[in-house]
Amino acid sequence: MAVGPPDDDDGDDIEQELREGDAARDENGIDFYGGRGMSAFPIAFFIAWAIVQSGLLRIGDTAGLVAGMLIGLIIGMLFVKGSWKTYANTVFEGMTQRVAATAIVAWLWAGMFADTIQAGGFVSGLVWAAEAANIGATLFPAITFLLAGLLATGIGTGYGTTIAFTGLFFPAGILLQANPVLLFGAILSGAVFGDNLAPVSDTTIVSAVTQDSDIGGVVASRFKYAIVAAVIAFAAYVVAGGAMEGISVAGDPETILSDRSESTGLVHLLSMGAVIVTAVAGRHIIEAISWGIIVAVIFNLAFGLSSASDILLFETPSDAPLADGLSGLPIVEVVDGGEAAVSGSIYSGAQGFFPLIVLTLLIVAGAQIMIRGGGFEAIQEFLLNNVATSVRRAETTMVGGTALVNGMITINTAAEIAIAPYISRIGENFNINGYRRANILDANTAALGYIFPWSGGVLVGYTQITQLPGEYDWFTQAMVVNPADVFLYVFHGWLLVAVFLVAAVTGFGREYVHDRESEEVARL
Amino acid sequence: MIEKYLTGWSFRSATPSFEPGQEITVVLTGVRGDDVVARVGDSILAVDGASSENVDRRARIKVTEFDDNDHDGRAELLDLVGETTF
Repeated sequence: MAVGPPDDDDGDDIEQELREGDAARDENGIDFYGGRGMSAFPIAFFIAWAIVQSGLLRIGDTAGLVAGMLIGLIIGMLFVKGSWKTYANTVFEGMTQRVAATAIVAWLWAGMFADTIQAGGFVSGLVWAAEAANIGATLFPAITFLLAGLLATGIGTGYGTTIAFTGLFFPAGILLQANPVLLFGAILSGAVFGDNLAPVSDTTIVSAVTQDSDIGGVVASRFKYAIVAAVIAFAAYVVAGGAMEGISVAGDPETILSDRSESTGLVHLLSMGAVIVTAVAGRHIIEAISWGIIVAVIFNLAFGLSSASDILLFETPSDAPLADGLSGLPIVEVVDGGEAAVSGSIYSGAQGFFPLIVLTLLIVAGAQIMIRGGGFEAIQEFLLNNVATSVRRAETTMVGGTALVNGMITINTAAEIAIAPYISRIGENFNINGYRRANILDANTAALGYIFPWSGGVLVGYTQITQLPGEYDWFTQAMVVNPADVFLYVFHGWLLVAVFLVAAVTGFGREYVHDRESEEVARL
Repeated sequence: MIEKYLTGWSFRSATPSFEPGQEITVVLTGVRGDDVVARVGDSILAVDGASSENVDRRARIKVTEFDDNDHDGRAELLDLVGETTF
């Protein structure tokens, strides 16, 4: 391989590109026809697209939002006065910001961990715990909330938790004569709890990274709000479980749960613990989750919870040069030529985040256009001069703003990324600590993504429930919960919003920048 | 580590107080007349030695005076220590 300086043409091109990139960074402005408000077009177009796609058309496809953001960026460029070069370079400038890169890296690691403990039967462990507790209809929703919260805290995905629990605990609970609406609400509440608190949750990661705070510190500082809401929610599910009647169905819940019951799966509580303890102790999030992955893989293999091929598998065609030689390995399988692939939890966990990664890069690019075009400053000035005029009003505005955006955009991580710069700037204008800002940002993001009938989390669960009549003879259409009926019963979600409103007004948990410094940024 | 979970279980004032001689890190938040100020909650510190170009940057400052009734005081700039995220 030739090593040396690039030829002159290539060198000139690169230098030219670097100069243009620097120019974009140095220049403070992109002028738009229609004034600085037009710089908000790409993001505004994206938000409108997201509302139509996810809310009105009920298409929860993150890759679809990528198309919306791309089109927004293209149309936005048409309104630029003069050369479009600065606009184009600003897109690059936005995409190469550290805030995007760090979130992406953390997501990839979190995805691998989550899929690996799921491959290792963590859900089966929770099913076993529910069976062992031998609870009746009254307590079943409360315990479901607790176990769903535990799963979501381990795997960091509320959607994954909702799918797993609506497929297993929901039909089992109905056979126990627990109220279906309450049960669905309890599952969604558990999803909110984990999405909000898990160090491997995509929303937790975004909230910490965008507010310049370490993830472990954010999780620890968030605990006080989450636990206050969760204790009240748990009590509410116990009370409501006694007051709300279920549907009488002939059948045995054991038949649903026993197939998926495996006590050994609970060892992954230790895998979760490895991540949480190391992250909160201040270790780098990549290091913390890597420990979790290592522990989970060892448990999976040592206890026979999954095969090596469930974790990583090369499916190779028989005519591949190394196919015969390596086919004896547990992670290599010879398949028909057309089916060659790599699979397993390590692969699928990372791959699951690819659409969100691309979307994040584009949203951050759109936000940078808005900053360079002055639209960001205009909105910020309006908020600071007219709405957020005191620290209480600033925090209330932050709570209300995140609620509004998350109420409209049902894919909650995308909503969180869009609102994050405002939370940062409004909060910093009152020297509100990064941990506090991250907590305000994530609470509504986690909560409202699972409350309204058009929310992504509710739709994911509803889709799963609508498939149950096909799976169980006794499950009738009357047992399918309408998404519009459940929103009042997502107790933990509502309580989390309420806790933060009260916290904003009373100062509960408020910390200023000088009260506590975040761990160094590199620890994230 | 447990301490991290226990920090912040309290109701914090909207107008925090400062002692003369106290060294703190703040974000410089704006300009008031000829002064660059750091607004901390609803308390305000005018920072001597800072220029308007330093607004939105993080700085180490030393409080020189603070009136608890007006929630207003002065400080001197020690060092600029970083940028804000956005």
